[in-house]
Amino acid sequence: MDKSRRRLLKGAVAAGGAATFAVGYSGPLIKMGKGVTGSAGETPKHNIYGNALAPEYHVDAKSGELTLNPDQRTAFTICYGCTTKCGVRVRVDNNTDEVLRVIGNPYHPLSSEPHLPMQTPVVEALRSVSGYQGQGLAGRSTACARGNAMMAQITSPHRVTDCLKRVGERGSHRWEKISFEKLIEEVCEGGDLFGEGPVDGLRAIHNHDELIDPDNPEYGPKANQLLMMEATDYGRSALLKRFGNNAFGTRNYGHHGSYCGLAFRMGSGAMMDDLAKNAHTKPDYANAKFALFIGTAPSQAGNPFKRQGRLLAEARSLGNLDYIVIDPALNATASHASVERSRWIPIRPSSDNALAMALVQWLLDHEAYAADYLAIPNQQTAESAGEVGHTNATHLVIEDENHPRVGHFLRRSDIGDAEPDGDDDELLVVDDNGQLLPASKVSKAALFVERDIETPEGPVQVKSSLTKLKDAANEHTLKEYADYCGIAESQITHVAERFAAYGRDAVVDCHGGMMSGSGFYAAYGIQMLNLLAGNMNRQGGAALGAGKFNGMADGPRYDLESFPDMRKPQGVFVSRSRFAYEKTSEYKRKVAAGENPYPAKAPWRSLAPPILTEQLASALDGYPYPLKAVIGCMANPFYGQAGLPGLIAEKFKNPRNLGLYVAIDGFINETNQYADYIVPDSVMYEVWGFTGAWSGVVSKMTTACWPVVEPRQQKTEDGEPVSMDSFFIAVAKRLGLPGFGDNAIPGADGKVYPLDRAEDFYLRAAANVAFMNQPLPAADESDIQHGGIAPLLPKIEQTLPAEERGPVAYLYARGGRFEDHSDAYLGKDKLKNAWTKPLCVYNAQVGTAIDSQTGKRLSGTPRYQEPQMSDGRLMREVFSEKDWPLLAFSYKSNIMNSYAIGLERLRMIKPYNPVLMHTDDARERGISHGDTVRLKSPGGEAIGLALVTDGVMKGSLGIEHSYGHTELGGSDHVIDGETMEGVEWVRAGVNINDLGFADPTRKVMGTWLEGVSGASVRQGLPIEVSRIAEEA
Amino acid sequence: MDPIRRSLLGQLAKLTAGAALVPLSSVASAGINDQPPRRGGDPEKRYGMLIDLRRCIGCQACTVSCHIENAAPLGNFRTVVSQFEVEHEETGELATFMLPRLCNHCENPPCVPVCPVQATFQRQDGIVVVDSDRCVGCAYCVNACPYDARFINPRTQTADKCTFCAHRLEANLLPACVESCVGGARIIGDMRDPQSEISQLIEQHRGELMVLKPEKNTLPQVFYLGMDERFTTRPDGIKPAIWDVANQNGKEIGYEFDGH
Repeated sequence: MDKSRRRLLKGAVAAGGAATFAVGYSGPLIKMGKGVTGSAGETPKHNIYGNALAPEYHVDAKSGELTLNPDQRTAFTICYGCTTKCGVRVRVDNNTDEVLRVIGNPYHPLSSEPHLPMQTPVVEALRSVSGYQGQGLAGRSTACARGNAMMAQITSPHRVTDCLKRVGERGSHRWEKISFEKLIEEVCEGGDLFGEGPVDGLRAIHNHDELIDPDNPEYGPKANQLLMMEATDYGRSALLKRFGNNAFGTRNYGHHGSYCGLAFRMGSGAMMDDLAKNAHTKPDYANAKFALFIGTAPSQAGNPFKRQGRLLAEARSLGNLDYIVIDPALNATASHASVERSRWIPIRPSSDNALAMALVQWLLDHEAYAADYLAIPNQQTAESAGEVGHTNATHLVIEDENHPRVGHFLRRSDIGDAEPDGDDDELLVVDDNGQLLPASKVSKAALFVERDIETPEGPVQVKSSLTKLKDAANEHTLKEYADYCGIAESQITHVAERFAAYGRDAVVDCHGGMMSGSGFYAAYGIQMLNLLAGNMNRQGGAALGAGKFNGMADGPRYDLESFPDMRKPQGVFVSRSRFAYEKTSEYKRKVAAGENPYPAKAPWRSLAPPILTEQLASALDGYPYPLKAVIGCMANPFYGQAGLPGLIAEKFKNPRNLGLYVAIDGFINETNQYADYIVPDSVMYEVWGFTGAWSGVVSKMTTACWPVVEPRQQKTEDGEPVSMDSFFIAVAKRLGLPGFGDNAIPGADGKVYPLDRAEDFYLRAAANVAFMNQPLPAADESDIQHGGIAPLLPKIEQTLPAEERGPVAYLYARGGRFEDHSDAYLGKDKLKNAWTKPLCVYNAQVGTAIDSQTGKRLSGTPRYQEPQMSDGRLMREVFSEKDWPLLAFSYKSNIMNSYAIGLERLRMIKPYNPVLMHTDDARERGISHGDTVRLKSPGGEAIGLALVTDGVMKGSLGIEHSYGHTELGGSDHVIDGETMEGVEWVRAGVNINDLGFADPTRKVMGTWLEGVSGASVRQGLPIEVSRIAEEA
Repeated sequence: MDPIRRSLLGQLAKLTAGAALVPLSSVASAGINDQPPRRGGDPEKRYGMLIDLRRCIGCQACTVSCHIENAAPLGNFRTVVSQFEVEHEETGELATFMLPRLCNHCENPPCVPVCPVQATFQRQDGIVVVDSDRCVGCAYCVNACPYDARFINPRTQTADKCTFCAHRLEANLLPACVESCVGGARIIGDMRDPQSEISQLIEQHRGELMVLKPEKNTLPQVFYLGMDERFTTRPDGIKPAIWDVANQNGKEIGYEFDGH
């Protein structure tokens, strides 16, 4: 018998209608209604095809001639089904403007592999996905289950289509419809808007003349008391930030990142020396040979979802890729049909850090790293050695605690050889002969160095970065690491050997699994494996991605980045990030008074970006300062951040703590249910915008979004759809802010253009994209027809000068601008878009940052650290294993998305998320498969059904994310006396974030956040589970 | 199941898949067993589908796109992907098995002869369809199908099933499930055309292909590559998934789309 088949069949049909597929016929024999033949039911449109959609076009089998269905059009735009932001082709009924079905855009790398060259005529693109000569099989451009189902958002009965103002207190679910103009007036001018006392309007908050707090002038002007928050950049962030940061001039902006994947992003940023933007990579799937996936599961979920799924599936079927997925739960990545090439290893939640350090230790001990590459100390040598970049493995770190530059790299100025910060103040390394030399003078430097260096101030101890990493890795034994992560030593060794066997062709990826109490160092440690393998910028290795054509910049046709009288936001973020505690007035006062400045009253995170996880709670507690208004666009931290509602809901509901909350959204979610006003927004297919791709796309691309159907919501008095765009334009114009209205957009021709409607901004961005580098040609009549852009042409003509219209039409007819697939690679082994900053074995920015709570310097290399609370105590010291024996973790659904629960076609496939319990854990608690169980954490409770399985790590409990909503159609809302009814099934299931909790070691309220990044901890929440007895 | 029985079944599954590939021309118009003559459709073609399970990621894009394309009622499916957990007998390692299912457009379709009004019939291109003008909704065909591939559409009260998106094939477009298949697992084509991708893949993998329930002698024309033969019949002893839906208080609230 074939060895690969030696697997037992286990139960657990985890997804997909196995039950429902079998229950097609359940009723009695149907009444014979129409005599001899025929039925009593509705007569479908066609006797054979039923109510199937009419084809959008047909292709002649012989000639290949393509004929459009005159009743339909297909147009290219964006999908909002998850944060991948795929380019899609939307099929629209010309007579009803109804969206019929959605599929991928064949020009788009997130939907097709390989994607079509940009110069392909649109008619040819449509033919390429058809059955003509079987082309569409290889050329298929897809939409996933969510992408298919999302169109129901447009016509959802739970969609908000009118401007709403709350009636009664916040969160009472009663609303009145008001005009857009009235909403703008109230939001801007404030007053006694709700009969609860005076509320500051945006005009009053827009105060750049007074400081928030004269005792702490670094907090900046009062205008910072407006917080702009959004879900993510769905193509319109540039306009939101233009308003918030540069027209209104507030410093405060937050998005979902800090409760999504920030710990991963910052761990990557540390390795890539980019804590400003937190660059990250994804494997170059098309060429990868061996991959480790730790806390990420391509093809189960993740970003880019379809692209990863498709490339992974293709690679394993062609036999090009072997991989191991290491995750607390079994997922779709481990494929039985490709059993020889894919393997799943379970790991204890929040212990990836230990696994990473065990692997680092093994690779260092066995010299299983790219030694020649690591020995390169500078970029020049790298290039002459045929490498794209280099690392700081050989650079020397000052170790003496008393040295003023402890934690920094040793430079010539430190040995009195150069002026500090001068041009010749180079880094020093040790060469083959043990000689200390400037890095530029050495082509191969010593990897492991630990010695004293003579300086004018006396001897100074230094260590090379790689020595520091080795020291960190050796803080624990392999056995200790194995015990922490729950993977046997032999297994860890096996993984290390497999990884090492592929040399520079091995690659590792991680993502949302890093959202634990030690996630920053876990991600940094895992990314270190890529560094040691030397795979960065190599085909099949860690790929940066090629970025986007940024039209919202100072482009070839218009400057959309700056404008006359624009403001530069100033002051400290309300999240106390990107600002060292040691620079605050508070710190200085304490030091002057002779007090120990540590711990700071609340965490100051000098390395972290502005984080929504701190912004709301901190502001409500008034530290560093309170907010007066929030404008949120699709943001939903109450659902997304573990423990947030329990912590802040009561304070948030009180207008005295936060005067004004305006939500811009098409739906009422768990957060904006508390809004004072809701501005009904366009939903996908109705929006403008430009999006790029995350990492993992190796060719440069930008998706163009435009309203391919007419927005369904209320219109302004000027006849424009109410939306995020029209809201910001109207507010800015009313307040007289720069950058909007007349005199807003500088053109390359020296004129300044107005911004009065959305298209004034987005179509000009389109012109920038179209004219970048080699300008695009003009669209021809056939492109316009086949690209479905006829409804867009009048707007283009009204807004843009003649010479821009053709190229802009060309861009929209193809749904964006896409670099050719063949341009992504360089030679036979490299990626064209390379990361050339030195990769960090030791990150000096991290290594010199001080934890504001403990006063200690952070480790500049990855190291093992158990999950900690804010004050530095271990989570297990605060919440013992005895009281809270299990660790809850979440994983992304392969069907559902955190805001997709309102979609019936997804609920129909996967209506519920039973919680995954290991067989042994269930047995110990007397829990059987299907039992109702109570999950209890230090801050919350949830009730679910237990799916008892071996497909989950013992000692942990898995919760598929995106269920357990209360809003998005789950609750009743009364609008002008009419009830928009909630659906009980929308509320089904469990949300892991209901098990989140307040960090009891904090003085300023906050949920449990990872120390370095401030990322919400949702992996490894301590819980207990018990069976709920049958109730009558 | 003991190993011997399992491997025999495997051989049977493979042999039957092979057998199903042979008789295309011989049975096309004549009908076998008690099959009535085929009618309609292009006699020059025989449509079939090959599903490369190694490329199926279980994303259910097919399920939803089919549902929309064919306006299936909520809670009823013409195609769906079942997901199983599988354990290695020796190492105990687990993996996930995805099984896309749809009408097999059998060469010997048991649903056709049982239809009392000849509403269900097979076209000359092999596609098994239902004429809703004739169908009385008696559900004999639903019961006769060993693959649970049919249901009574509660709106039309007629038998409903996959048509391979015949309306799209006739326009030279791909079926919804095929064009939306993220992993590229589903291949459709004319098996009479030796140049078609499906013909070439069948040729290349002839010995590895399997069909569902080969012992029923239905000669399915949906072929699986990367199949575990134990899934060719509904596996015994499977612990079912949890199909209950509980609200946030743990109260069972049933399947939302029952009775749609």
